[in-house]
Formats: sequence, structure tokens, C-alpha cells
Amino acid sequence: MTEDSTKIPPPGELPADSASGVDRLQVPGMLLPVLLRPSLCRPRASVFLTRCVRTLRCDAPMPPPLSRAEHFLLRRLPPRLHAQSRGIESRGRKSKSREEEWKSRNKTGLTYIAAAGVGMLGLSYAAVPLYRLYCQAAGLGGTAVAGHDAQQVETMTPVKERVLKISFNADTHASMQWNFRPQQSEIFVVPGETALAFYRAKNPTNAPIIGISTYNVVPFDAGQYFNKIQCFCFEEQRLNPHEEVDMPVFFYIDPEFAEDPRMARVDTITLSYTFFEAKEGQKLPLPGYSYN
Amino acid sequence: MSTAMNFGSKSFKPRAPDKGAFPLDHFGECKALKETFMKCLRNNNFDNSLCRLQSKDYLECRMDNQLMAKEPLTKLGFKDMMDPPPSQADTDPKP
Repeated sequence: MTEDSTKIPPPGELPADSASGVDRLQVPGMLLPVLLRPSLCRPRASVFLTRCVRTLRCDAPMPPPLSRAEHFLLRRLPPRLHAQSRGIESRGRKSKSREEEWKSRNKTGLTYIAAAGVGMLGLSYAAVPLYRLYCQAAGLGGTAVAGHDAQQVETMTPVKERVLKISFNADTHASMQWNFRPQQSEIFVVPGETALAFYRAKNPTNAPIIGISTYNVVPFDAGQYFNKIQCFCFEEQRLNPHEEVDMPVFFYIDPEFAEDPRMARVDTITLSYTFFEAKEGQKLPLPGYSYN
Repeated sequence: MSTAMNFGSKSFKPRAPDKGAFPLDHFGECKALKETFMKCLRNNNFDNSLCRLQSKDYLECRMDNQLMAKEPLTKLGFKDMMDPPPSQADTDPKP
């Protein structure tokens, strides 16, 4: 197969001898690649094409006697040649419509993907309030501690049989210079009875220090029954130089503690306070799930 | 601790106190009553039930000195130690 168009014999040199139509058949066979090329990038070859087609059509008004096979072939070939010449355009049309089809398919696919992306983004924004609602409903993560009723302090009765030891612990952050300690190491209470306990804090430095504290109750499960009526945590407390103050904690253990089977073996609850130094003007959120 | 990275296991969730935070007693106005309370605790082997009177006195002192929001003591769980008001003489105080 000739790849190079220059190798194609110029039209004038086409074998015009009428010995057999095979030569003529061979010529179109040789010209097939040329026929394909013009649709791409060879304007000169298209000239060859038209010329050759013309020579094939106009040439030889009297075809020589052909054998049966050759006759058959000849009959078959020109339509193909016709089809070839027209095929470029129809193939062009087909590929165009196919291209358009692909384009439209791509477009719909892209719109679906873009819609899915936007949907995912919206879902991620909506997930925050939805998750909050779900947690409040399902009570996961200890957020649904809505049963803590402040009114029950009035009406609760102490469970005298169950005596609990509350031990106290005091910590300070490493950079906090207060002396902070409990005034009693332990106290015995019963559920349903309010109790008072004291911590002492002293500022030994020459500068006022503002502290803020948080607390912890161990064991964790018992912590949900530990209700503080009033204490000194989560708010800034200012101590002047060389000042010493008493810090009370007023609390009670929920009477339902005595009915919880998980708490049947719990006899000691440890309350631990930790003081940190507060920076000026810093506003810390109160613990809780909903931020008012 | 609440800051431990043990995901999946229960952790402690601190709650804000019901009535907020006590203002600090900078001038020691109720210090004497506190000392009485502490002495009572030490004498009674740190049993809170026996020292409720002293804790009630301390809280009353705080309320009188603007160190605590004034509230009826029944709301603070001292219902059993309050005398019933004259209008409700038929209700018995709890022992």
C-alpha cells in the first residue's frame, strides 16, 4: 500500500491498456487510501480523486469483454466507489451526529454530576441541625440529660439508707499560681439531701489573678446524678494579691441514684475541681449542647 | 477525664450549676459561720446530715450579705428544717 501520495502515478500515466479490467480495478484499490485521505488534510489528493473518478467514469466508454468474476467484481466495485465518494460525507454526517449525541450525553451526565455535588454540599450544611435533633431525640452522647429538674430540690426526700462518701480534689493548671485546696477531704451524704462543701484559694503573688475553673466527677456514670445548685465554676473569679477566700459548693445527689442498678456498687464519688488562669476579656461558653 | 481521647466510651460532661456561681466572699463576712460549719463536720466525722443547721446558717448569711440570690430555703432543700408558716399549720414538718 502506498502511503505516500507522491507515489501515485499522475493521471496521465494511468494504465489505459484495455488488456484487462483488473488493472483498472487495481487502480481504485490503490486509490482507496487516497480517497480516505482527502477528508483529512490533503487538498491535492482530492484533486487526484476527482480526476481519477472522472477518468474512471469517462474513460473507456466501451468496456472490454470481462470474465465472469471480473464482471462481477466490476459490478460490485463502482457502487462501492460511489459509496466511497459519498461515504466521506455520510460518514462525516454520521460522525457529526454521533459527536452530537456524545456531546448531549456528556452534557446530561455532567449536569447530573454537578447536581449531585451541590446536593452533597447542601446535605453537609443541613447535617448540623439534623444531627443535633437526632441526638436530642435518641439521647446519644449524654446530651439528653433533660431529666434534670431544678424543681425537684424542693420536693425530694433523702434516701437515708444509702450513705455515700464524696471525696474532694483540687487541682490547678501548671501556670496558675493560686494555692487551691479543699477544706475537707471527704464528706458523707445521702442522695436527696443538699450538702455544702468548701474549697480555699489563695493568691500568693503580688498581682491580681483571674481564675476560672471546671470540674469533673468520677465515676462518670455517677456524674449525671451529681447536681450542683451553686458553685464557683465556669465563671471568672478574681483574687487580689495575697487574698484568700473560701469557695463553697452547694450540691446534692439525685435521689434516683439509689434506684439505678448500675450505681448499686458505687459508694464513693470524687469531685475534682481544676483552676485555670483566665485571660482578660475572654468569654468561655458554658458547657452544654445548645449554645444560647 | 473528659479530655481523654477514648472515643466510644463514656466521658464526663460537665454541667453548669443550677443557680450559677457564688460570688466570692472577698471580705470574709460569712467566714465565722463557715468555721462553725467546718468544726461541726470535723466533730461529726464529716457527716453532712448532722451539720445541716450550720450549712443553713451559712447560706442565710450569704443571702443577707448580697453574696447569694435570696431564695426561700425550702427551695434549697431545707424544707425539713423550716417551721411551717402559720397559714399552713395543718401540714406536718418532716423529721
